[in-house]
Amino acid sequence: MDMEFYQFSTPVVLIMLAVFYGGTYLMTKLIRKEEENTDAYMVANERLGIGFASSSMTATWIWAASFYAAATSGYKYGVSGPLHYGLWGALMILFIYPFGQRFRKLAPKAHTLGELIHARHGSSSQLILAVSNILGSTISLMVNFTAAGALVAVLSPLSFQTGVIIAGVGVLSYTLWSGFRAAVFTDFAQLVALMAVAVIIIPAVLFAMGGPETFVSGLGSLTSEQQNFFSREAILEQGAPYFFAVLAYAIGNQTISQRLFAVDEAHIKPTFITATLGYGAIVIGLGMIGLLALAAGIQPVDGDTNNLIPQVVSTYLSPIMVALFFILVIGSLSSTADSDLCALSAIVMADVYGKNIAKDNPNPERMLLIGRITMIVATMVGIVFASFKLDILVMLVFVGALWGTIVFPVIASVFWDKVTNAAFTWSVVIAMILFCVVRFELVPMTGITAYAFEIIGAIGGAVVVGLMAFGFLGVRMGVLVAIVGGIFGLYVSIDFMREYTVLLASLTAFGVSTIVCTVMSLLSTEERFDFRSIGEEVQSYDS
Amino acid sequence: MDAKTAFYAFYILMWPALTLGVLVYICRAVWKDAKAAKENNEDLV
Repeated sequence: MDMEFYQFSTPVVLIMLAVFYGGTYLMTKLIRKEEENTDAYMVANERLGIGFASSSMTATWIWAASFYAAATSGYKYGVSGPLHYGLWGALMILFIYPFGQRFRKLAPKAHTLGELIHARHGSSSQLILAVSNILGSTISLMVNFTAAGALVAVLSPLSFQTGVIIAGVGVLSYTLWSGFRAAVFTDFAQLVALMAVAVIIIPAVLFAMGGPETFVSGLGSLTSEQQNFFSREAILEQGAPYFFAVLAYAIGNQTISQRLFAVDEAHIKPTFITATLGYGAIVIGLGMIGLLALAAGIQPVDGDTNNLIPQVVSTYLSPIMVALFFILVIGSLSSTADSDLCALSAIVMADVYGKNIAKDNPNPERMLLIGRITMIVATMVGIVFASFKLDILVMLVFVGALWGTIVFPVIASVFWDKVTNAAFTWSVVIAMILFCVVRFELVPMTGITAYAFEIIGAIGGAVVVGLMAFGFLGVRMGVLVAIVGGIFGLYVSIDFMREYTVLLASLTAFGVSTIVCTVMSLLSTEERFDFRSIGEEVQSYDS
Repeated sequence: MDAKTAFYAFYILMWPALTLGVLVYICRAVWKDAKAAKENNEDLV
């Protein structure tokens, strides 16, 4: 089927962008204060209600790539494809709330997870978190600005660079002064727009393409794997690697922990349940557009599956719906980009300046200035990197792996008083090295080497399911589920997992960091840690 | 509409329906947050 993208004229697209970013900026004027304080700038004084906290969590978790990747998954893997993107992403939001409750209990006044880890272990462990987040949020900024540039270039005569610059300047303009407060406040409006558009667009596409009957008749052209809700191909190639990647993202990413520290402590659970449902519904729903395109026999323009949603919307829906879609994508990428700016500013303010330069005696006014300068620099870097269209795949893989290696050490550090700074640091370093060995196939994955990594991978899988059970059901069930998961993992993994390099590398990161951290902690003769000292050390910078 | 068609229609349309439900819940929660903030003379965020 031959298709073209709908084209807005230059004035129309400029007006839409001006209305979106101008309206968002005016919204922030409602909450702006002449003198912001550092706690409000970083975590909104730790008392967000369910509504703002859950809308901000959902809006942050959904970025521009979420729709495109979910639709790609639907297009590639068929009926189960959207679930293997959206469901696992959603479940990970749910998974982290028990750990979030623990973080808040230990450090009620924290602004970053790095501060908590600094109080627990010291600078080296904290800086591992800080560096991973600076890299991760910079990449995320670049990806979101790139998505804005691509959308503007596809749907209007404006250039890619123009779209990148407008998005960068637009996001910075409304986030700069009030920081996290502005991000949370505007996230609500952006999410409402995004959800309302999703509610309209998904049924509109289904019926514009001929309705359920036409869709079902098109299913006959799918392969048997694509028609199978329990497709092994979809699980191994999409679901499982994404599951482990997004778990690492949930624990390590400052945009998430910042919201954990910002929500009123009593509302953590309902906030995360609401965000789980919201994220799952929106992303899986929009992923269905990829499945509809597959059943209709649509070929993506230039073979790029990222074109699927704009292509389908352009072809089957009216210009007004295309405009709504445009706002949906701009809203999703802006809400994530403003969260990245806030995360970066909080890390530089608290982890770099507060803990390592001012040594817990910072000047609050200088701290705020540093936060704002960080946002300006980060936006410029994001715009420049996006404009050059740099290939960031390797960096993305590296950051994902770094977050994978810290999952066990971070969680163990907040529950187990034997974990040491050396165990934390070395477990991350060694796991990163072995991750690279597997991911970039630095040694031939055959014979005893392959068996060794498959066993480590099975341990990694056991750790993940064990941690999930531990979070909700306690330590006994966690250990039991880990043992059962490990035995099942060994049965599945041996002689098989070596073929799935991406998945094996992720599991290796989890497995190695767990083994090294556990062994070094058990062998340590250091005094056991007193968790009460964390709350005493991590305090507000304003008082 | 046969059972298979009905099933797939439900499978695709349940997600926007769930989105609508969450949207209503979040709006209601924000309205309550705003009301509580006004009563306690506190900032909204």
